[in-house]
Amino acid sequence: MANTATLTNSKTQWGGGNSPFNVSYGKLMMWIFLLSDAFTFSSLLVAYGFIRYSFNGDVANPWPSPDMVFNHFPFTHAHLPLMFVSLMTFILIFSSVTMVLAVEAGHRNSRKEVVKYMIMTILGGAAFLGCQAWEWTHFIAGTEQGKTLLDGTVIKGANLFQNEYGPVAFADLFFIVTGFHGFHVFSGVVLNIIITIQAASGEFDKRGHYEMVEKVGLYWHFVDLVWVFVFTFYYLI
Amino acid sequence: MSAHTADQIVHHDAPSDMKAKIWRTFWILLVLTLVDIAFYFIFPPSTYRNWLFIVLGIVKAYFIVSIFMHMKFEKKFLAWMIVLPMSFVVYLITLMIIEGGYTDDSRNKNDGNTPAKKTEQHDNHSGH
Repeated sequence: MANTATLTNSKTQWGGGNSPFNVSYGKLMMWIFLLSDAFTFSSLLVAYGFIRYSFNGDVANPWPSPDMVFNHFPFTHAHLPLMFVSLMTFILIFSSVTMVLAVEAGHRNSRKEVVKYMIMTILGGAAFLGCQAWEWTHFIAGTEQGKTLLDGTVIKGANLFQNEYGPVAFADLFFIVTGFHGFHVFSGVVLNIIITIQAASGEFDKRGHYEMVEKVGLYWHFVDLVWVFVFTFYYLI
Repeated sequence: MSAHTADQIVHHDAPSDMKAKIWRTFWILLVLTLVDIAFYFIFPPSTYRNWLFIVLGIVKAYFIVSIFMHMKFEKKFLAWMIVLPMSFVVYLITLMIIEGGYTDDSRNKNDGNTPAKKTEQHDNHSGH
């Protein structure tokens, strides 16, 4: 008993006997990784803001308004700006909810519930990736009439070298920002699948706790958090 | 006794009504996103509208980090360790807005007289 008292004494907490901030090593490192990742995404979004701002006075080649580019919805030809990306946002928020429910179930060591909610989270992530693939396909394929250049050539859609909607930089930034985020979602889905398999096989019951679910959950919520800002800066502003 | 300490690290401070908190946060995020969409269609584009979107984004971020990522129930110093470095991003944004303005001026000669310079994809804005 005397030993425990010394261990939990606040003065010795930084001596290696206890974990700093009373979180485990893995969780602390996950937070620090997410902080560095937040810097990466911030620089991408700031670069987007900078380049867009520098096109403010360009009358000849104006920055396109997102609702002129991303206005399609599956199974309809109606002009529906913002609707598809809002659907994607709801899917990601909801998968964040099922993720945090899995974490909560993990606190109660309820294996069945953890697996159930993890599978729902994986499905949400996969749905989001599918939506993004659809969005990219439309952006790359472009409109039917395309855009005629001064010398008569017609360009359709967007890639890294040409863009029928406006400046090439718009397409470049779209591919980089949403692509980098999409790759994070993809990695998250892979991690979720690994954790679900481990949970289902009883690995965490053997360990006595479901902390791995919490760590992967932190990553998954971060991906949702980044999407909030991609949605704000790319589609709303 | 040491096993007891390890357990404490893993399961500390999860509030008993966590499920209710999760669903409340979900509804808050849903409503805030709907407000975003409503603002987008109601107001014409303006700097004020952009600031509204940014403020709403930060509010959403607060709810995701504090409830979903459990930050509200962690030690205060952990929260500060993560939040304080993000203030550098605010500094970077300020610098880049200033620089973007200069770049705009030098690229596009914003004096109102000179015609905007021709670019490769000049004419026929017929995309939509």
